[in-house]
Amino acid sequence: MNDASRVGKLPKLSAGSRLGIVALIAIVAAVPVVYTNHYVLTFLVTALITLVLNTSWNFVLGIAGVWNFGMLAIYAIGAYSEGLVMLHTGMPAPIAVLLGGVAAGAFSVLLAFPTLRLFGIYTSLLTFSFAQVVQFVIVNDPKGLTGGSFGFPTVKGLYPNLGPLAQLRAYYWTVLAVVVVATFAVAWIRSSRLGIALRTIRDAPAYAAARGVSPLKYRMLAFAISGFIAGVAGGLYLSYNQSITSSVMGLTPMSIDVTMLVIGGLGTLFGPVIGTGLLTFIQQALIDYPGVQLSILGTILLIIVVFVPGGLVGLISRTRRRLSNWVEEDETALPTTEEAARSTEAGT
Amino acid sequence: MSQIVAILISTLVLGSIYGLVAIGMTLIYGTLRILDMSQGSMVMIGGFVAWGVLVVANSDPVVALVAAFAATFVLGTFTQLISVQPLMSRRSDLDFEMVTFITTFAVAIVFSNLALQIFGPFQKDVPPVISGSVSIIGQNLSYQSLAMAVTSIVLMGALGLFLARTRWGLAIRAVAQDLDAARTMGVPVGRLYPLTMGLASALAGIGGVFLGAQFFASPTAGDLPLLEALIVVIFGGLGSLSGTLYAAYAIGFIQSAAIVTIGETWTLPVLYGVILLVLIFRPYGLRGNPSEARL
Repeated sequence: MNDASRVGKLPKLSAGSRLGIVALIAIVAAVPVVYTNHYVLTFLVTALITLVLNTSWNFVLGIAGVWNFGMLAIYAIGAYSEGLVMLHTGMPAPIAVLLGGVAAGAFSVLLAFPTLRLFGIYTSLLTFSFAQVVQFVIVNDPKGLTGGSFGFPTVKGLYPNLGPLAQLRAYYWTVLAVVVVATFAVAWIRSSRLGIALRTIRDAPAYAAARGVSPLKYRMLAFAISGFIAGVAGGLYLSYNQSITSSVMGLTPMSIDVTMLVIGGLGTLFGPVIGTGLLTFIQQALIDYPGVQLSILGTILLIIVVFVPGGLVGLISRTRRRLSNWVEEDETALPTTEEAARSTEAGT
Repeated sequence: MSQIVAILISTLVLGSIYGLVAIGMTLIYGTLRILDMSQGSMVMIGGFVAWGVLVVANSDPVVALVAAFAATFVLGTFTQLISVQPLMSRRSDLDFEMVTFITTFAVAIVFSNLALQIFGPFQKDVPPVISGSVSIIGQNLSYQSLAMAVTSIVLMGALGLFLARTRWGLAIRAVAQDLDAARTMGVPVGRLYPLTMGLASALAGIGGVFLGAQFFASPTAGDLPLLEALIVVIFGGLGSLSGTLYAAYAIGFIQSAAIVTIGETWTLPVLYGVILLVLIFRPYGLRGNPSEARL
């Protein structure tokens, strides 16, 4: 099957991998049924929300190749917009979450314009500046809409009528569903015309221009999609915690999220899942040593970037390839040894 | 009138200190083609060294400056060796800038959290390097600020002379202009890279001694100077020394004018607004040029 006929289809997977993915989703979905520890579930829901954000970040950073370091601001815009909609219009929470996503997508598109003329490091600085300004405006909001540094006033969650455990389970499954949908959406987009155009603009801008691929159009689309997903993630965060402060932005959360992406493997489909999962686990393991936590994360980040280019997903696929090469070599090698044995037999 | 004097004095002081921190970043970018995110931690470390020498050891300000220079030189060299040197073979890769951005950032995370572990989260008061002040047309100018400005200008001048007149400076400029040609002519590139980064870090460390006295020594003391230095280097154009100098004073002026006219709170957003505009109209900053020779 050639590449052209694969456009717009999900990446081809073997039956085994497909089964593995379904099994993984089923196992993760079964966790709150088996495991009802409130603390652990709370923690897992937060990790899943981070995974939604990281999925969108991976899309714009890894697949579109735009060094957007303003994603946390987009995420916060989604959350605050949802909160403002909830507080001032009394709309139901799920619609407010989607509206937050739309608002975040709109801001993200606005951010796409100034990045068009920039390259590499300049883009990251511009987008990071944008994030700083957003954080600043939220903290110093003169009209008091955002609650400043004290955080947003309490809003109703998605499931106000459920009991504590049922609520937690409901959030868990909601966010998990969003994770699955977002991951599949990114997987589909990656192999669609849009994804191919984005990757061409990333890898060979001159060729893309020569083929008439408009950077403006595709970058705006990429920013709109990633902004929407990040905004929904922010909305879920606000609904789940029923409050938010500007501390979700800034250097520390950004460094943790970027570490997750890079360790998992930027631009790969399962990189965010692996990176977020692994780092969440490490963070949890180090929770009693809050001081060294970030130092260790920084060290891991350094080691992975230096010694494991392509992140863990890259490492896994390289190992698999080497393994299958080795198996193939072995299979072709086997007859020759038999022949050799036969010839020695014949010789004697 | 007094407002204008206040703005000018503040421009001189802020511009000089920004220049000192940012010129190191420019030097590193010009030579190694990386954006060194650990420069902020060097400012922070400089502040702690100043605190250690001036408060704990109760010693001389000159000792503090020398100690900060030495400590950050060593740490900057070390940072280069662990976070950049192993990646130098991937220099021509598309994502080299991104990767080194992340590794130096990782080092910065480790440094500031180690500082948090060792010194605790509380701010430490650092006494001014020189106390007292002088009055210029009704405006108070502390000797501390004056010393900061003068030291920065002297150090930037010394850096300029170093680059223009010494063999090592010539080597740095040669590498910045054409790596392969420099290699063929026998420039020891492998030793030059750590040296450049150590030197740049030491400048930031000296800046940290003054900034520590101006504000405090704390584990997060380097964050704001890092952001401001980033603004300056983008504004001036990455890799352009002259651009960085102009930009440092331009940013200092904008910030001073914003402080005097609309107040301290809104200065950072104003600066970011200016950067946004500059980048929209000049994507490589004032003096930066992606293809031309740098430094």
